[in-house]
Amino acid sequence: MHSLRLLVTLLKLNIQQELAYRADTLINIALSLMWLGWELLSLSIIFSNTATLGGWGPGELVALLGVWRLVNTLMAAIIWPNTERFNASVRDGSLDYTLLMPVNSLLLISLSRVVIWRVWDVLLAATLIVVGIGMSGGATSPLSLLSFLALAASGTLVIYSLWVVLIALTFWFVKFDNNVTILQALMDAGRYPATVYPPWLRLIITFVVPVAVATTVPLQALRGDLGWWQVLLFLAVGAAAMLVASQVWRAGVSRYSGASS
Amino acid sequence: MLRIYRRMWAVNWSEQWQYRANLMMYLFYWLVSPIVYLAVWTTVAREQGSVGGLTANDFITYYLTLLIVDTLTSEITIHLVAYKIQDGTLSGDLLKPIHPILTHVLVNNLAFKALTLIALVPIWLVLGLLFAPDFSGVTIQSLLLAVPAIALGFAVSFLLGATITCVAFWTTRVHALNEFYYALIVLFSGQFVPLDLMPRLVQDIAQFLPFQLFKYFPIQLILGKQPPELIARNFLLGLLWFGIALLIFRWVWRNGVKRFSAVGA
Repeated sequence: MHSLRLLVTLLKLNIQQELAYRADTLINIALSLMWLGWELLSLSIIFSNTATLGGWGPGELVALLGVWRLVNTLMAAIIWPNTERFNASVRDGSLDYTLLMPVNSLLLISLSRVVIWRVWDVLLAATLIVVGIGMSGGATSPLSLLSFLALAASGTLVIYSLWVVLIALTFWFVKFDNNVTILQALMDAGRYPATVYPPWLRLIITFVVPVAVATTVPLQALRGDLGWWQVLLFLAVGAAAMLVASQVWRAGVSRYSGASS
Repeated sequence: MLRIYRRMWAVNWSEQWQYRANLMMYLFYWLVSPIVYLAVWTTVAREQGSVGGLTANDFITYYLTLLIVDTLTSEITIHLVAYKIQDGTLSGDLLKPIHPILTHVLVNNLAFKALTLIALVPIWLVLGLLFAPDFSGVTIQSLLLAVPAIALGFAVSFLLGATITCVAFWTTRVHALNEFYYALIVLFSGQFVPLDLMPRLVQDIAQFLPFQLFKYFPIQLILGKQPPELIARNFLLGLLWFGIALLIFRWVWRNGVKRFSAVGA
């Protein structure tokens, strides 16, 4: 409950910060809508030229866009801003103070900065998912909907865990500013279902930077393509990833000897 | 003046070389989008035979050429100058007897381009092996024709990018404007999708805008796909936009510097 109160406080701080820049928030929302317009335009160009894309129909791709936007928004709202703060705090030594606080350091580092206006993007993403499911016509059973939500959460956990490991590497290799660029770069590949890509790209986005696990896999569950053991497998992968990440973090922190003498 | 540029080159090249790890990261970051779109369109083209008259090979040659052309015509001025306007450190540059944008920033762009191109070559060759393009439309003439087109494309792109950055003199924060400008480029330059596949309205508007000079026009020149009357017309369009961009930039710079009060310095 300590952590819960901390979370609420962090959120309040971030909301206060953003209320000071209202014009900025409006502009950001406008830009977000503009990019959504572009994404939908490219989908319509693709589907004015073909009925299916690698076996996926337009409704499914709209839903995939929604899932991708959801994951991407979480990245943009939480992961990237906190990465910048973390890198800056390693460089100027304020990481020491963060680690000394009587709270879970990972929690503090992950959530001290939350970009509040992005909640708008989450709503947009959810809308896209609902619209996409409706467009694809097929009735979704409650079970596939449940496994979709669970797998989306689990997939996000996998990406979060990868992020934790990447920033934890700073404890071993101090000058590692571009630690998460590769993750950011490959996020773009999650826009389209992994089945569309050539095998070598498919391998990279499933095993190296598991973007496909967070986007294509939940979508497959929604369509009812996955057997129950596959769903359980992916959920287990999410849990395992989180465990590995927190161990790596713990190892990194115990290795850390402070910024100044 | 030539000595100044030579010195600038030496300084900027060593700076780029110093940050080569960073550069490699940005290169990988930037590579993902074209490869993703290439994969998507070739899948569609293979399923359908052709898309809007373009075959899978057309897409492969288009995107592989795009990688090179994009490196040659893109510019990074906003990352070099915006923060200096915002925190006042531009004052130091303004004290020097040379134009900071047309010397230092320009050469920085060129050095970045050169190093990126060198790093790109092996990756491009690997991609060529993976996608097996058929470049039979490319001739010596088409390559030679593309050289002035690329130079023109970069010149216009650089001046427009610098103009956008200089809006910071008035508004301090330029991020939103720059993103909007980037969206226009994406829409009208054939960056994500060849212009042939865009809706008719977009194609018509693109004929008059400078953005296709950055990507689509040089790519089509290299691939030998531009009919002669369009070649002449687009070169004239390029020269016209170069003139316009130059005039706009000079106006924005002169008036921006007058307003500059070195807030933060």
